[in-house]
Parts: sequence; C-alpha cells; structure tokens
Amino acid sequence: MDRIQKLEKEINNLRKALQEKESELFEMKRNWMPVHPNNNLNQEDAAQLQQHNLKNVTKVYYGDKLPKWAIERYSRQILLPDIGVQGQEKLCAAKVLVVGAGGLGCPASVYLAGAGVGEIGIVDYDSVDLTNIHRQILHTERDQNTSKAESAADTLRSINSHIKITPYTVQLDSNNALGIASRYDVILDCSDNVPTRYLLNDVCAIAKKPLISGSALKMEGQLTVYGYRADRNHNEKDLSHQGPCYRCVFPNPPPAEAVGSCSANGVAGPVPGVIGALQALEAIKLIVGQTHEKLLVGRLLIFDGEDVTFRTVKLRPRNSQCAACSESPTITRLVDYEAFCKAQAKEKDLDLQILSPEYRITASQLEEQLKKLILEVDSNQKERHLLVDVRSEAEFNMCRIDGAVNYPIDQFRGDKVDEILRMVNDKNQVTFVCRRGNDSQIAAKMVIDLIDEEHKGNVKDLVGGLHAWSDSVDRDFPIY
Amino acid sequence: MAASVKLHLQFGGGAELLFDKIKKREIELPALKKYFPDCQHDKWNIRDLLVWIKDNLLRERPELFLQGDSVRPGILVLINDADWELYGELDYELQDNDTIMFISTLHGG
Ligand SMILES: [Zn+2]
Repeated sequence: MDRIQKLEKEINNLRKALQEKESELFEMKRNWMPVHPNNNLNQEDAAQLQQHNLKNVTKVYYGDKLPKWAIERYSRQILLPDIGVQGQEKLCAAKVLVVGAGGLGCPASVYLAGAGVGEIGIVDYDSVDLTNIHRQILHTERDQNTSKAESAADTLRSINSHIKITPYTVQLDSNNALGIASRYDVILDCSDNVPTRYLLNDVCAIAKKPLISGSALKMEGQLTVYGYRADRNHNEKDLSHQGPCYRCVFPNPPPAEAVGSCSANGVAGPVPGVIGALQALEAIKLIVGQTHEKLLVGRLLIFDGEDVTFRTVKLRPRNSQCAACSESPTITRLVDYEAFCKAQAKEKDLDLQILSPEYRITASQLEEQLKKLILEVDSNQKERHLLVDVRSEAEFNMCRIDGAVNYPIDQFRGDKVDEILRMVNDKNQVTFVCRRGNDSQIAAKMVIDLIDEEHKGNVKDLVGGLHAWSDSVDRDFPIY
Repeated sequence: MAASVKLHLQFGGGAELLFDKIKKREIELPALKKYFPDCQHDKWNIRDLLVWIKDNLLRERPELFLQGDSVRPGILVLINDADWELYGELDYELQDNDTIMFISTLHGG
C-alpha cells in the first residue's frame, strides 16, 4: 500500500512538473514569434520563407500570410472552397470561447483546436467525475477530480501546440461573464443549465457577439445560432440583418421542475458528440465568413438519435421589442439569472429537510432493522417491513437494496398511492428510499399526510438515501 | 358544416413524457361544433386543439404542458416545421394534414 501511495504521489509531482515545463516552453515560443497580426508565423518560418523567396526567381507563393507549416497542417480543410487560404487565416486569427467542458464542449473544442482557431478559452467550474467520461472525450481516467477546464486545456494543447488555450476554472456569473466573453469573437454555449443559457444570451446581446447554442439530453439534441449580426460580415448583402436571440424565441424560462439534466435523466454519449461537433462546424463557417442563409441563423436543428432524424425548423425572426437584443433593450446589464430562472446554475446536492426527525432513520439503523427482520420473518411468516424505492424504473433496475419494491415518484398518485397506504396499514414499518434522500421525503410526506394518525409512526425515510447506504453500510453499492 | 380534421401530432425534447412517451400520433378531430357546441367560430385553431389535447391525451401534470390557455414557457410549437409565431400562434386555423410539433427545449450538455 505504501509503495502504491508513494508512486501515485511521485507520478503526480512529475505530471505537475511536466505541465509547468510545457507551459514555460509554450510561453517562450509565443514570445519568440515576430510581430505579426496573427502570431502564427514564427521567426524560423519567416526567415526560411524569405530565403526561399529570394532564391526563387518565380517566387513561391504561400498565400498571404500562412507559413509553410500551417499550409501543410491545415491543408485538408484549406482545400475546401468554403474555407481556403483566406478562411484559414481567419481561423488562425479567431478567438472562440467555449462555455462548458462537458459533453458538448469537449467535441466542439477538439474540432476548433484541430482547425487551428488561434485562441480558445474554455470555462468550467467543475471537476472531472468518472460518470463524465463516456461523453466528455477530453478527460481521461487519470484526470478524475481535477479541474475540467484544465484537463480539457491540457488535451487541446496536445492536439495543437500552435494555438493559445486559456482555461477558466470559474462558475460563469453576472460579475465575471462580460469580462471573459469580451476577449473572444464567438461564444459557444455548451452549458448544462437554464440560468447560464440566459446569462450567455444577455452577455452576447450586450457585447454583440454571436452565440452558438447546443444542448443535449437522453437521445436528443438541439442546435441554433443566436444573436447573429450581418454587419460583422462583409460577405452579407444586407448588413442590417440580425438573427433572433434566445430571449426572442424564449422570453420566459421554463418551470424548474420541467427541466431535465444528464445526471438525473441520462444521456447517450454520442448525442452531445453530434451536437458539439456541429457547433464547431457552425463556428468555423461563421469565422470564415459564410452568410446567414448558410448558417443555422433563425433555424433550429432538432436531432433525435432514437430514430436518427435530423430536422431543421424555422424560428421566428428577431423580436423588435426583445428585452435583450432590440434597439432599445431593457436589459442593459447582467441580472441575477438564478433568481430569474428560479433554478441553480451549479448542480448542488440538495439537502431537503421536509420530515421531522422521528420519521427519519440512518443507513446503519436501517441495516440493523433489516437484519433483525430476517429472523422475525422466519418465525412470523409475515413480512413486517417494506422498503419502497421511489427512484425511476431505470435507476431501480441499475441497483437496489434486496427486497425493495419500486414506486417511481413521478407516478405517485391515484391507485398507486392507495396501494401504498394499504401497505403502510399492513406492515409494521414502510421505509422510503431514493438516491439522495430528497424524493423519498417527498413521498413519505405525502403518505404521512394521507394516512390515519395511528399508522403515521410506521412511515420512515432513509436519511441521505442510497448514497448514505453505500457510504456506511454496503461499500459495493454503486454511487451514481 | 366543417368536416373533421386529420393531424400529425409530434412531441419531443421530453414533452412526450407527458403523453405516454409516444412521440408521434395521428389524430382526427371531429367537426368543431360537435366537440364545442357553444363555439363561436367554425374551424379548429390551435387554442381549441390544446383543449382537445388536455381532454384526450394529457394524462398527468397538465401544468408541465399548459399555462393558461397556451403552452408553458420552454415548449416550442411548430406548425409544419415553422415556429407558430409566424402563423398567429393560438389563432392559427388548422388545415387537414398539418403537422403540429411540441418540442420541449433541452438544456443539458
Ligand atoms: Zn432577442
């Protein structure tokens, strides 16, 4: 054991030292570059190019600014008429901010880094968890518990050492968002919650930046470009054209209980992969100057992996009265988005206290009761204790305590509740369990409110849910 | 007397969870006056359709689909693949064979 710990520590230190040396090297290389608008031509290349040209009477033409290495490296996309040498120059000069280093942000930023986007900022407050890795492709097993922004930045640097990557390990909020976003030309919304989506929309409306917004859940994904302004693109015929923003289409946030999350509802890894890759494609097209007809401006892509359908639907035009993007916006500074959406931007473990202590038992108490009951059942021939698991059927199928029955909380009404009331009357004890001990309290409370006084005491709730069970009773029980 | 109207109804983005997890349905609305005898107009519009959906398809938690006489915020209504705002929203008169989609916006990443 000692040896393992020692090795782990040593490896961590080496890794840290390597990272420091790499960033030192990166900075040195960067400072060595000659004065050049793109910062992409290093001295060696410049000197070589000049010599080469002097020797050659016919003059070798490398394009306007691109050095040899860049032509070679990006040749497969430069070959496309849609990108070309000029497009590549624009990509090398472009600065893109990716908000969220998760299921969308990882694939999106991989393609941006590969395409040679000059500067990429990547924002994420969170750290890498093992459950992220099936879809968050920049993180590896050894990145667990480290900053997602840092982990993503490290991988992106290993993909392209010619570009600048800036990780931001912060929760984006009203105080820091404008400062960070204003350093970039294009923003990618790869976030996972409603408050951050409204925050980014307003940031982009105020800073007049395009917002490439992707989202994914379960088997479905959605994608569109918000806040597009033709006046930034000289290829546009009508410079006054402006696409809708998020608020033009969705002026009001959805009720919090109608919003799903990847941790609660699940997501198939390739689904955000598809959407993230397309976010990168839209960013590349936008940077090289494609016009709004070719971009997902005023259109929403709906992807359903269940039957593999891609559907593009037409959105309403920009609202001339929009609170964020109209000529006379009412939102001129950022507000409190968690309050506006009545939801949290950060997934915190809720710790509800609905029931009073006499209705609650700890995992160890439950274990003892269950052990004792095995003996009593033998002598009594009657099951006296019932465990009611209120998680979804999918979760219940994944893992459960032996003998528990499944009554998902979202079907807790009508006949189902009557069934449970009958059971509470029959048994000595009915214990409600769920993942973390919040839904189980809600369920138990419903039953306590409905049942007659003398049976109220039969109802219990497992404090901390199955996470607590795994922590203090059964180490082999999966935490998810 | 206006005849019945056949529609393709589609639900997505999680909205289908409120409708027995069925994403696509073919429905046939009866003549409007048959369903709403006191109705002042002759043709089905989206406002009427929402009431019909509430009566006939919406089994549980209507507040996660409806708010007042419209859909709740965060659900996009599409009429033949275009935002219903382009067609007068609740007042749009349904045509035979229209595809009406209700898409809940996704927020995960
Ligand atoms: Zn707007």
